[in-house]
Amino acid sequence: MLSGSIASVRRGFVAARARSLLYQALLIVGLVGLALLIYHTTSNNLKLLGVNSGFAFLEHRSGFAIAQTLIPYDEDSSIARAFFVAALNTLLLAGTASVVATLLGLAVGTLRMSSNWLVSKLAQAYVEIFRNVPALLQIFFWYFVALRSLPSLAQSVHIPLGFILNNRGLYFPTLQLHGAGWIAGAALVGVAVAGCAHTLLARRRIAARFRGVLVALIWLATTALPLFLPSVGFELVSPTRGRFEYESQIVLMPEYLALLIGLSMYQATYIAEIVRSSFTALPTGQAEAANALGLSPFVRFQRVMLPQALIMMLPPLASVYVNLLKATSLGAAIAYPEIVSVFVGTVNNLVGQPVEIMGLTLVVYVALAFAVAAAMNAYNRRLRRRGQQ
Amino acid sequence: MAARLNLGLLCAAIALGLASAPSRGDTLSDVQKRGFLRCPIIEASPGFSSITAAGERVGMDVDHCKVIAAAVFGAIKIEFVPITPQTAFTLLQSGAVDVFPGGASWTFLRDTAMGLDFTGVYLYAGQGFLVRKSGRIHSIADLDGATICVAQGTTLEQNLADYFRAHRMRYRAVTFANIERGLDAYQADRCDAFTNEVTSITGRLRELVNPQDHKILPGVISREPMAAIVRQGDPRWRDLVLWSFNAVIAAEELGISQANVDEMRKTSGSAEAQRLLGVYGDYGAKLGLSNDWAYNIIKLVGNYNDQWQRNFGPLGLDRGVNRLWTDGGLLMSLPFR
Repeated sequence: MLSGSIASVRRGFVAARARSLLYQALLIVGLVGLALLIYHTTSNNLKLLGVNSGFAFLEHRSGFAIAQTLIPYDEDSSIARAFFVAALNTLLLAGTASVVATLLGLAVGTLRMSSNWLVSKLAQAYVEIFRNVPALLQIFFWYFVALRSLPSLAQSVHIPLGFILNNRGLYFPTLQLHGAGWIAGAALVGVAVAGCAHTLLARRRIAARFRGVLVALIWLATTALPLFLPSVGFELVSPTRGRFEYESQIVLMPEYLALLIGLSMYQATYIAEIVRSSFTALPTGQAEAANALGLSPFVRFQRVMLPQALIMMLPPLASVYVNLLKATSLGAAIAYPEIVSVFVGTVNNLVGQPVEIMGLTLVVYVALAFAVAAAMNAYNRRLRRRGQQ
Repeated sequence: MAARLNLGLLCAAIALGLASAPSRGDTLSDVQKRGFLRCPIIEASPGFSSITAAGERVGMDVDHCKVIAAAVFGAIKIEFVPITPQTAFTLLQSGAVDVFPGGASWTFLRDTAMGLDFTGVYLYAGQGFLVRKSGRIHSIADLDGATICVAQGTTLEQNLADYFRAHRMRYRAVTFANIERGLDAYQADRCDAFTNEVTSITGRLRELVNPQDHKILPGVISREPMAAIVRQGDPRWRDLVLWSFNAVIAAEELGISQANVDEMRKTSGSAEAQRLLGVYGDYGAKLGLSNDWAYNIIKLVGNYNDQWQRNFGPLGLDRGVNRLWTDGGLLMSLPFR
């Protein structure tokens, strides 16, 4: 009775599927119920204890100052704005440290694979030392040791181009532009000129990547033309000295510098190892085949090895960048005003609502980390697709 | 089937555990049942709580824990819980500790919006500044434009902002997670001044690398009345802690000290002293304690002057406004009547 057994098998399959869906539905209901129960109990307990609840505190006046603000902020601003300032500080540190760590990691990773024994060993020593010391200790080292080695206000170091370095920070010169109107006009004209250049180059069949660079250069040259006029020019004005410190629009605090150096050097070790392992994981046949085709070492690296290694590097690199984002919270230990320091530290003591504050902080970190990982994975997918064409 | 049953049991167990409300309104019974007081202290604050070379805990906050333990048990039965300023209020709110013995000032928001109750001022303090003698800063007004190191955890940052704004002075605040880091940075010349509550700064002055190079500016920029803190909604416990601290001040007013408390109990003619020391009346029972509660406090820990001399005397701190009102200070005990 073949049809009968097939029918019973199909019935059995449908029943199994229905059971599995039922279990999944029950699990979801159970989880949601648990979450609601936790929420309900917590808010009940907070009410019984007389602790304020809710997010109304975000609109209150903050009443405290923050040492580094990328957007306008003062003591009258709301606590929500203080949180935003802190988040921007976190992103600034994470972004710049990622760039520095990547460059450093790429360099060290490539050096590690060098055929020169000394260079390779030095790179290995760097990786071993800076990977095995906890990140917080490295940051303390850079902060307190570097702080004591930087000169005091009276002995500030004057770097060319108008920068000033002392133990209160790295002060940037202000860029003063005369005749900005001329420059703006030239920029607009430059857009038109660059557009014409682009069409011309395309007609002449210049390759796409050269075209982009040439068009950009032409635009820059046109924009810079008015500088030849006598009334137009720019100068870098050095910061002026006040009673306690130099006055400047842009200052990099020593806390930021210590974190930048410390975190970059620490994460660069991971990036170096990722780079090294992706290149060693390439099948040796690739390099030999490229040689057999007569490709130069540079072209072999850029066209054959790097694209394949890059695809392998990206998932672990995503982890490194997410770790770097989370490691910025170590800045709370040395007074860098990032999210943990400003929100979980200062604001929590002001309003005393740890549940809401920790919840908000966790949500923000998860969202940022997810965004970083998603971007990296999207890039990875694009590379894989391109590689398969 | 088995998996579903297990999941169901798990959910039920979690639900039961979560559904219990926090134990409300009876800290005294909890402490008595437990057999010891759970007291949080912020480590390594000279004068307030530190550890001697012999491994013993000493300090004003430690003495406050002892005062409450002496009142409840007649003996020093305490479990000390080391904490940081950031977690202090959360631990108290959640019931992990029984009382916060000191180091936080009595403010409106803390009293009304954080589920906390205060138990009488034991120290009148203010926020001051530590500066280098070589920096040519002689008064708080000279700090216009300065960089100031400040530690998180209390009202320090807001006081700074309010004061400098009111006096139209500019400043730059570098905010550290704890006082030690802030002092390290101040000594490394990261900032021109270090700000904290004045008794705390005076205590730490001796621990700096070169104490003679630093000085404390005259004047304070805020008033910080320090009080011990309990959870809201437990009137009996609050009364107990409030009157325990009051007994310490009253003892000094009545001339009772750790040295002469036995003698005073036998021979004092003052009716109030006799009520305080439990010679007659049932004041102890009204707090849920034995009649010896105040006698135990003074015998084991001492009166206000005993505690001050023991903890702040070695730091060279003058009592200043913390003298009795009869000596021109601000401390006045509530009457035992």
